[in-house]
Amino acid sequence: MANFSSPMPSREFLWDVFQRVDKDRSGFISSDELQMALSNGTWTPFNPETVRLMIGMFDKHNRGTVSFDDFGALWKYVTDWQSCFRSFDRDGSGNINVSELKDALSSFGYRLGEQIVSVMLKRFDRFGRGTILFDDFIQCCVVLHTLTAAFRQFDTDQDGYITIHYEQFLNMVFGLKI
Amino acid sequence: MAQPQSGMPPPAYLMEMFQKLDKDQSGSITANELQTALSNGTWTPFNPETVRLMMNMFDKSNKGTITFEDFGALWKYIVDWQNCFRSFDKDNSGNIDKNELRAALQTFGYNLNDATVTTMLQKFDRIGKGTVLFDDFIQCCIMLNNLTTAFRQFDTDQDGVVTLHYEQFVGVVFSIK
Repeated sequence: MANFSSPMPSREFLWDVFQRVDKDRSGFISSDELQMALSNGTWTPFNPETVRLMIGMFDKHNRGTVSFDDFGALWKYVTDWQSCFRSFDRDGSGNINVSELKDALSSFGYRLGEQIVSVMLKRFDRFGRGTILFDDFIQCCVVLHTLTAAFRQFDTDQDGYITIHYEQFLNMVFGLKI
Repeated sequence: MAQPQSGMPPPAYLMEMFQKLDKDQSGSITANELQTALSNGTWTPFNPETVRLMMNMFDKSNKGTITFEDFGALWKYIVDWQNCFRSFDKDNSGNIDKNELRAALQTFGYNLNDATVTTMLQKFDRIGKGTVLFDDFIQCCIMLNNLTTAFRQFDTDQDGVVTLHYEQFVGVVFSIK
């Protein structure tokens, strides 16, 4: 996502956003508060799994919430994903179809066949229209990243194949933070 | 889940249950209506992933809702899981610890080593107490079943070892319900 990097905004700006998101004024943003603040461009709630993934990423103290200290990084993360999503949503439809997804993934360095991209799309295609929304796009990319990292750990000779025992396979998949 | 099987209750009873769940009286049960009706024994909401898994299983017309026709099978499925859960929750704590989980999985025919059971428990241990609640127990068992089925499809010589290409691996994990 290097090309979509936005500069970090000022502390004042971030504090202003933080206070608006922190509805109960606890000084921390919970996953419910973050979910309410985010939009996927439709009236459906923002994917709770994506919210959980993002909180998990920036919650340094492992409390299930994000403090103001961590908020800047979270804000930047969401903003960078937004510009990334918009740049691949060529027709400005607010969602991404299979060819747009394939382009996005190849720009991230994944060389995947049409068939596997279709499988991925189907997993996140919430309305059965062959498209995915912003929030599901993030989840899809984060899951693929996590899977690829797990695969690489086993693929020590880097030939794109792993030989794996049943229990190793279970351990690997159940151990994924997805 | 072969052991604790319940009989199907009479239609009148099922209709009464169905109408109680169908809060907006639309004639079908949505995922939200089902989620509100189910309890995991704590005040936390019933795992939405488990609700989604169960809806998909019994929603024959693929509309994302359950009609009265499908409701009997869904009702029976949940009651059977409840009985199963209770039978393994030996200390009646309302949750299942690692030993109870291992015993449950053994009954289902899975002989898994300690490390694997620990990983599974960690994944579904929602409140960080080393235990699994009812709703997460269902999701855990369904996921194990689906992963095992997927693994077996590749393990054609049945030696418990498979060789997977990167795309096959990604495909398997993305297709797990």
